[in-house]
Amino acid sequence: MPEPLLQVRNLSKHYGSNRSLISRLSGAPAPRLIAVDDVSFTIGQGEIFSLVGESGSGKTTLGRTILRLIEPTSGSIIYDGTDITALDKTRLRLARRQIQMIFQDPFSSLNPRLTVRQMLGEVLHVHGIRPPEQIDSRIAELLSLVGLAPDSIDRTPRHFSGGQRQRIGIARALAVEPRFIVADEPVSAVDVSVQSQIMNLLLDLRDRLGLTLLFIAHDLSVVRYLSDRVGVMYLGRIVEIGTRDRIFAAPRHPYTQALLRAAPRPDPAHRGTEAALGGEPPSPLDPPKGCHFHTRCPRATALCRNIAPPPETVAPDHIVRCHHHDPAFA
Amino acid sequence: MAILDVHNLTTQIPTARGNLTVVDDVSFSVEQGECFGLVGESGSGKSMTVKSILGLVPAPGRVTAGSVHHGGHDLTKLPGPAMAAIRGRTIATIVQDAVSALNPVYRIGRQIAEPMLEHGLVRSRAEGRSRAIALMAKVGIPAPEKRVDDYPHQFSGGMCQRVVIATALSCDPGLILADEPTTALDVTIQDQILKLLVSLQHDLGLSLLLVTHDMGVVAQTCQRVAVMYAGQIVELVRTEDLFRKPRHPYTAGLLNCVPRLDGPARRLTPIPGAPPDLAAPPSGCRFHPRCPLAIDLCRSGTPALSEVAPGHFSRCIRQDALTADLWETADA
Amino acid sequence: MSDAALPVPAMDRGPRPPAHNWRRHSGLITGASILAVILLGSIFAGWISPYGPLEQNLRNTLQTPSWTHPFGTDNFGRDIFSRVLHAAKLDLMIGFLCVFFPWMLGIALGGIAGYFGGIADTIIMRIVDTFSAFPFLIMVIGIIAILGPGLTSLYIALTLAGWSMYARIVRAEVLVVRQSEYVLAARALGFGHLRIMFRHILPNVITPTIIFAMTDIVLVILSTTSLSFLGLGVQPPAAEWGIMISEGKGFILTAWWMVTLPGIAIVIVGLALSLFGDGVAKWLRERG
Repeated sequence: MPEPLLQVRNLSKHYGSNRSLISRLSGAPAPRLIAVDDVSFTIGQGEIFSLVGESGSGKTTLGRTILRLIEPTSGSIIYDGTDITALDKTRLRLARRQIQMIFQDPFSSLNPRLTVRQMLGEVLHVHGIRPPEQIDSRIAELLSLVGLAPDSIDRTPRHFSGGQRQRIGIARALAVEPRFIVADEPVSAVDVSVQSQIMNLLLDLRDRLGLTLLFIAHDLSVVRYLSDRVGVMYLGRIVEIGTRDRIFAAPRHPYTQALLRAAPRPDPAHRGTEAALGGEPPSPLDPPKGCHFHTRCPRATALCRNIAPPPETVAPDHIVRCHHHDPAFA
Repeated sequence: MAILDVHNLTTQIPTARGNLTVVDDVSFSVEQGECFGLVGESGSGKSMTVKSILGLVPAPGRVTAGSVHHGGHDLTKLPGPAMAAIRGRTIATIVQDAVSALNPVYRIGRQIAEPMLEHGLVRSRAEGRSRAIALMAKVGIPAPEKRVDDYPHQFSGGMCQRVVIATALSCDPGLILADEPTTALDVTIQDQILKLLVSLQHDLGLSLLLVTHDMGVVAQTCQRVAVMYAGQIVELVRTEDLFRKPRHPYTAGLLNCVPRLDGPARRLTPIPGAPPDLAAPPSGCRFHPRCPLAIDLCRSGTPALSEVAPGHFSRCIRQDALTADLWETADA
Repeated sequence: MSDAALPVPAMDRGPRPPAHNWRRHSGLITGASILAVILLGSIFAGWISPYGPLEQNLRNTLQTPSWTHPFGTDNFGRDIFSRVLHAAKLDLMIGFLCVFFPWMLGIALGGIAGYFGGIADTIIMRIVDTFSAFPFLIMVIGIIAILGPGLTSLYIALTLAGWSMYARIVRAEVLVVRQSEYVLAARALGFGHLRIMFRHILPNVITPTIIFAMTDIVLVILSTTSLSFLGLGVQPPAAEWGIMISEGKGFILTAWWMVTLPGIAIVIVGLALSLFGDGVAKWLRERG
């Protein structure tokens, strides 16, 4: 069995460990925000793995921590056999050629002052990917790879629509010729018709370039379309992880089941009257003891309120963290 | 009986690039007790339509033609104070970003009671406060007596939206205009808010004009729906019929490029291209540059919204050639 | 995703209409024209006026304005018109340089504080706080008192008194821009600090500093003339508007032109700079 391309082991990110002098002296309890709580998963070569969760789940922080744009508090990230949490600056820079990121907001992910030529040329130049005389032709190749006309090369971002900007962002990430891309909600901020264009583009790029993708999203139908495997996050923890088919056809965690029920179906014949999940997500500054989900869970018991459920394998490549996981799914 | 009757509404915004017709000859009506959906992507004009109805089009844009009938008046012709008396009183609004719709320096109870005081429905602060508590309970805010004196920053996004809904309900309006009320919310909270709106609509006999880009939201909440593209309504029909048999290639394309949670996983066919520049829209049918059914007549004529089946309106002259697999066979 | 904003224009939509709309930028153009006239006049003062600014003619003192001396002469017989023109060169240069140096210093320190944060931020900001605690003119006068009056002291004093505001503005802007996704992307692409700072962050934070600098120039010129009036800035016998007003104050009733005409020059330049500055600010804001 080939080694997975990315292994995340016990990764955590806490905020609030640096306190001011005054708050230390006053003896007040330290506010700690646990954005990512002891997360572990693997991604195989050529796979599209999706992390799905609502706001506050920690999925964006996790994505940025994998690139070390945010430094992890503890845990390890093993990419292609190397633990990148231990890399020094120079080696990290080299590693950055392998792992890239695509961002969510097409309106703030591109420098408004640079033209497309400058943006892409800069990447090619800094990393020495092409000699100066070949830069223009490589830029044209990248643009056609993402479906943009070559005459857009000397325009600044404000001449482009949201979908086009996303394509430029993808071209920029591809310029370093990475093997692994973390896509942080790249289709959440664009229109539906553009969403499908970008999704198909990502699938094509995966097939043509042999990319591996970590796809971060909150929209389950998008996740179902793109993913091979899925991880569901709630308040910093992965509560369920497995293949796409298992998660969507046979979810076991009550949160996953609620997410699937809550998504509005384009099917007027089936209208629910009851909300799928009541209550509010708890504050990450003050997470519930035991299982984080117990405050909203219909199956919560005293056990859930005190002991965080350990990961349990319910099927090949399907792990759940719930004391009362249950295939029953209305 | 229609509570809102929009006829040939047209709104234009003069810009350096020319006159943008952001709302183009839009006509529809919202019946009493009905939830009517206005669905489209960005730039389709759906939000501008709501602003035009309310007389809140930002300058230098303005309503240039058409009428909006409500309560025996034409809202486009009403002077400022008369219009202000209607806003919040007989027509209430729910906006997308609930958190910024609330004033951070005033307590929640006071903000909910403010329209009631303004329109003279309560006579004192105390009365306003107690009615606010009742409204908060109605929209499902737990422990309203304790939370009525909280500030907006103490509420989550979903709770803020409930507060906005409570404020909208405060003067017993007959019609609520909801402009993408759940777009900024998480899926589970969106689900709660939508179910709340539907149940309030049933309990109070409200009419709801719901603006959204999400076809799933439309399917779950609306009785009738109008699809907007480039400022025009391209299809208008009962919701079940829209999903069962759309009669405009744009609608069919939209339905086809939305990924599904059920059914077999199949390759989506995106609609090629992008929405047109409103300063220089395509001739004839606005959708023809992206349409697999386009013929010469589509480029030259001015297709009107006509009744192509009982209660089903479409702007497409070729809608009878529309088959279920149109977009699957078209080249992506 | 609401369509409350106007739709973004598609790429190839034919020629864009001309960006310049002369009526909208009337202030900018008026201000710029006046300044251009004054600037050219001061540069070519030697050709325009036959008299040197320091050239005394004790037989021709306190002459009323006439064809030979359009602005009259002062108590040393110096031609006031040529003194006013030469003074324009000096005052405008001081105005420009004493905004340019604080601007550079403020951007450098504010940029470092905003970008690196941590201890650098704390130290720099506390220094900024210290400098900001003093009222502007008090600090300038204080520094000149220590260094002794003169042109160099003036430069140093105005720079030290003026840089802290720029540092604050730049730091605030850098803090915002540093969080934006394109800077994050630049880090993810492995770019070094210098490249990120100069190519990605600074070009996007410059605009508010330029807008501020435009109003600052007027303040600096007025400060310069005031200080020179008090004898703390430029020293006589140099031609400088403040000095001229100071020298003329004893002759207000007898030779009003000595005080009034340099005063009018200050007003005109101040107005022109204000118009120009507002116009530039407006243009930059619209450009986005």
